[in-house]
Amino acid sequence: MDVTRVRRTGAVFALALALPAAAPAHAQDAAPAKAVPAASASPPDDGEWAMPAKNYASTRYSELDEINTGTVRDLQVAFTFSTGVDRGQEAAPLVVGNTMYIVTPYPNRLFALDLTQPGAPLKWTFDPKPAASAQGVACCDYVNRGVAFADGRVFMNTLDGQTIAVEAGTGREVWRTKLGDINKGETITMAPLVVKGKVLVGNSGGEFGVRGWLTALDAGTGKIVWKAYNTGPDSDVLIGADYKPFYDKEKGKDLGVTTWPPNAWEIGGGTVWGWISYDPELDLIYHGTANPGPWNPEQRPGDNKWTGGIFARNPDSGQARWFYQVVPHDLYDHDAINELILLDLPVNGTMRKTVVRPERNGYVYVLDRATGEVLSADPYANINSSTGVDLKTGELAMVEAKAPKMGKVVRDICPTAPGSKDWNPSSFSPRTGLLYIPHMNLCMDWQSAEANYIAGTPYIGAEVRMFAGPGGHRGELSAWDPVKRAKAWSVKEDFPLWSGTLSTAGDLVFYGTMEGWFKALDARTGEELWRFKTGSGIIGQPIAYRGPDGREYVAVLSGVGGWAGAVVVGNLDPRDATAAKGFVNAVADLKDKTTKGGTLYVFALPSKR
Amino acid sequence: MSSPCRRSASLAVLAVLALAACDREEREPRGAPVGESGPGAIAQGTLYAGEPSPPDPRRQEYEGNAYHLAQGKQLYVWFNCGTCHANGGGDIGPPLMDDSWIYGDSLENIFATIVQGRPNGMPSFRNKIPETQIWEIAAYVRSMSGQTPTAASPGRNDSLNAKPAEQRTPKAEPKQSTPGGPQVEGRQ
Amino acid sequence: MTARLPIPSPCSAGRGRDPCGAWEGEGSVIPRNLALTLPRLRRGPLPLPPGAGEGVARSASSRQWPWHRAALVLCLFALTACERVQHGIQSALDPVGQQAGRIAGLWWLFLAVLAAVYAVVLVLLLVAAIRPRRRRRLPPGPAFRPEEPIERRLTRGLTAWAVGTAAIVLTLTGFSYAVDRDILALGHRAELTIEVTAKQWWWQVRYDDPVPNRSFETANEIRLPVGVPVRVVLKAQDVIHSFWVPNLHGKTDLIPGRVNETVIVADREGRYRGQCAEFCGFQHANMALDVVAMPRDQFEAWRESQLAPAVAPSDERSREGQRVFLTSACVMCHTVRGTTAASRVGPDLTHVAARPSIAAGTLPYSKGNLAGWIADPQRIKPGSQMPVVGLSADQLQSVLAYLDGLK
Repeated sequence: MDVTRVRRTGAVFALALALPAAAPAHAQDAAPAKAVPAASASPPDDGEWAMPAKNYASTRYSELDEINTGTVRDLQVAFTFSTGVDRGQEAAPLVVGNTMYIVTPYPNRLFALDLTQPGAPLKWTFDPKPAASAQGVACCDYVNRGVAFADGRVFMNTLDGQTIAVEAGTGREVWRTKLGDINKGETITMAPLVVKGKVLVGNSGGEFGVRGWLTALDAGTGKIVWKAYNTGPDSDVLIGADYKPFYDKEKGKDLGVTTWPPNAWEIGGGTVWGWISYDPELDLIYHGTANPGPWNPEQRPGDNKWTGGIFARNPDSGQARWFYQVVPHDLYDHDAINELILLDLPVNGTMRKTVVRPERNGYVYVLDRATGEVLSADPYANINSSTGVDLKTGELAMVEAKAPKMGKVVRDICPTAPGSKDWNPSSFSPRTGLLYIPHMNLCMDWQSAEANYIAGTPYIGAEVRMFAGPGGHRGELSAWDPVKRAKAWSVKEDFPLWSGTLSTAGDLVFYGTMEGWFKALDARTGEELWRFKTGSGIIGQPIAYRGPDGREYVAVLSGVGGWAGAVVVGNLDPRDATAAKGFVNAVADLKDKTTKGGTLYVFALPSKR
Repeated sequence: MSSPCRRSASLAVLAVLALAACDREEREPRGAPVGESGPGAIAQGTLYAGEPSPPDPRRQEYEGNAYHLAQGKQLYVWFNCGTCHANGGGDIGPPLMDDSWIYGDSLENIFATIVQGRPNGMPSFRNKIPETQIWEIAAYVRSMSGQTPTAASPGRNDSLNAKPAEQRTPKAEPKQSTPGGPQVEGRQ
Repeated sequence: MTARLPIPSPCSAGRGRDPCGAWEGEGSVIPRNLALTLPRLRRGPLPLPPGAGEGVARSASSRQWPWHRAALVLCLFALTACERVQHGIQSALDPVGQQAGRIAGLWWLFLAVLAAVYAVVLVLLLVAAIRPRRRRRLPPGPAFRPEEPIERRLTRGLTAWAVGTAAIVLTLTGFSYAVDRDILALGHRAELTIEVTAKQWWWQVRYDDPVPNRSFETANEIRLPVGVPVRVVLKAQDVIHSFWVPNLHGKTDLIPGRVNETVIVADREGRYRGQCAEFCGFQHANMALDVVAMPRDQFEAWRESQLAPAVAPSDERSREGQRVFLTSACVMCHTVRGTTAASRVGPDLTHVAARPSIAAGTLPYSKGNLAGWIADPQRIKPGSQMPVVGLSADQLQSVLAYLDGLK
């Protein structure tokens, strides 16, 4: 297919949608038809992979093209490495210089592999020895989503709430800072992000009645520079003079207190366990805030600020610039922590600096990343619990009949508690202008119950049973055009997709399935070009890098787990439909398809000899 | 009166008299008298020096009593057992309705697990739940895999009805019970 | 006990006979209003009104029991005439709200009409029984002779009787309908919404507000401003209960999985007693709640005080009590806002010491009663969900000091 023609017609289509008939004809030529990553946040590819999202714009796109639609058929295993931990491997490996860094789920061991040697032998191991009891307060398998690299140091988080800086060359600990208290249910599973010499870390534990926060640690010393809570008074949330939200509903004094029943904000959730992006030009970091606690919405009347939304903050002071609440008074555990991809794209004929977010509630949101204005929100999955977003007010219109009620089973709610799509990140290819969204097609029954807060135990108040949505397939990979605001193509998968995607300049999209297949698709058509069966289900984030020998490699961790894979790693009993907060019911057959694992797979083309 | 008529009449009278032998189940809200139930009273393994000690008499008191089992079921929800172990299928914690038991399947072992906590994430409820209620919860936990008399096991669910009630759960004979032992496949 | 209340209560109003005797059992742990229910659990003899008791006591050996039973029944009838019932804190015949007033009016109307009918029937019955039967020899021929004057009179009389009965029934139905309509019409003017959730065996009460952090929770007491219609949203957590404050309104059921509504209004200051009116298990009888009607400004002051988190303990003993509270079984069930205790199994204790009673109206609030309740709740309210926690004497005193400070 002629790519340029597709793009041009795409633009015409988008403009026809966006502009009234009276729009000047030359607008067509003035607006480029393509979305591009924020230039300052996506420097040219150096062949390394120094942060899980690849760059500050979070594109997860590699400019390497040695492996491409033509050559991918020959892709084969270059080497493997067993992590020795057989829990859900959600992390992205990092490659900096000639070393690959991988982190395991609890007990959070950090390995450095020497890529210059054949078979990439172990260079060093760092064992942080986190508290074993932390396993009891990790809601959805004790995963870790990756480490960060900056200035010769690797920064990692441990399940028991510590952030540790490790010298990249030697594996020696430089500093460690205790940030979370497991007796309150706090853990850390997210991958840190290093911005301007500060390590950004947020907590997990929204299912345990913790109070969510994001903190910045000095990369040199580990001292806390600032800490922003996501509930409570403005002084704790770091809302001050700089705060200029777009919508009136986000304005007001101490909304983090007044939109909760008295004292409920103290155990109200709003954690930051997902992804952070950074725009160096606007000098703003973007992060989501997770679900309010407990799940039972009747126990927390009000909008429950600042949970379920997106913050833009100054990285130096932590001061908030804007906030947009995606799901005010969240009804379904719809954490707003998914990846935030910084793209510049034409909206109504003008280029806008945007942040694009495939949200858990089933919509792809496009927000102006300078102001927080919602430019569009279009469904990418099957939704029956809401009808759309009013772009004037930013309000999400919910369907009353699907709202949870105490003492009642509300049936067939789509999407489910983990959402149309959970944490597992999309990738964006500037070559195709498409966003590759790994997502799910599940629905659920929900019954609210009174949640009792007992510190250190879950604070949920809902029983959930999930099942496959219309069509019967449980997973789907969709290529989304953010300019046309429509799906370009999609591929159905039997099991929910819980792995991230990787796109490359070879016009390929890589992703893994929960049965263990690692697949490469044609980025333009969705045609499957290559697949490889790994030892266990894949829920990790694939990466591509240039090895010391100059060749392109693709790496992914295989090892099923996470919320979706709990039935396998916990050996749960599928006779109980509510096991693993209802997810087991949707994937009861996963036990017959895969077992636990924890292996790194690295692929390359056969070396030309 | 004809003799068949008389016979059935006397049978009916006997049947009515037999009702008098029925005794309503005791509801003892205070629970059985509390005796020694510290670590010393609980065997962690299945190997004994000499003759095995008899099981704790409270087993009968709690496991055969519908009131205690029903209270246990209610407390299981109230004290957030179900948020980690679901309705027996497991979540953060292991399933409780199957046949594997990491820290022992006896009432005393379950009691000990709740009181002491376990190193890989089971919190300790020491001083947090009165002993009687722990016995009730432990007895209910055993009913989840059909270990208690069906006449006493809870017969219905008030919630989503995620699985058949305990009364209809087939008994899962505990296998390879390893109290306090090493990791069982796939468990904490 | 009533001295604790910041509002004038009818108990201190001095009405000759003490209308609130049941609430003033300072010395005894069991208030008088329980005397009829508690002993039943203990399988003891049933205490009866003075006079009747002797008869019953003798009845076991004597054969005069029908006579004494009749005396007992008469005594029960006599009870209805007691001022305590007519002017009481739990009496449908002492209405303090519009609806209760209409219901009471209807009740009196029914009583008057039905009593009259009853009297007429009794008189006729008596006449029929006493009048000597005139034996007339019937002439030969058919038994039914409609042309005879006596038969005609009888037909006319019976028709009139049937028409009269129908008219009475229809008229009463009409009145009943009109009263129902009036009662429901009040609902549109409700200014305040209270959500009441019935649990075995207590009442969770939540005051809603459009501003979420101005809503709050309390237990077993409803306070309302005088003259303001209040919408009460009724829910149940476990089994069916029924919300009944006789002085204010009729009964409304609380059904799990369903939301009911009623509107109450109190026209007069005072304290009234509500009672679960649908059998709900072991402690149904001890599932009461206090309804306190107070002037608007006092109500607002009370609401403000309820919105505040619990006061921090001020002395060493209370601090120790708080520590015990947060580290023992208390924290598994109760909420004290401002601390880490936030469980919702039992009543919210943030302002427990400001409430008129404890254990859902079982005991008036006093430090001594609270001590008895914590030490052995299963003696005071057997089968209740409050367990014997097993605190040491010292711990108990500390917890008491702490809780008594939670005004």
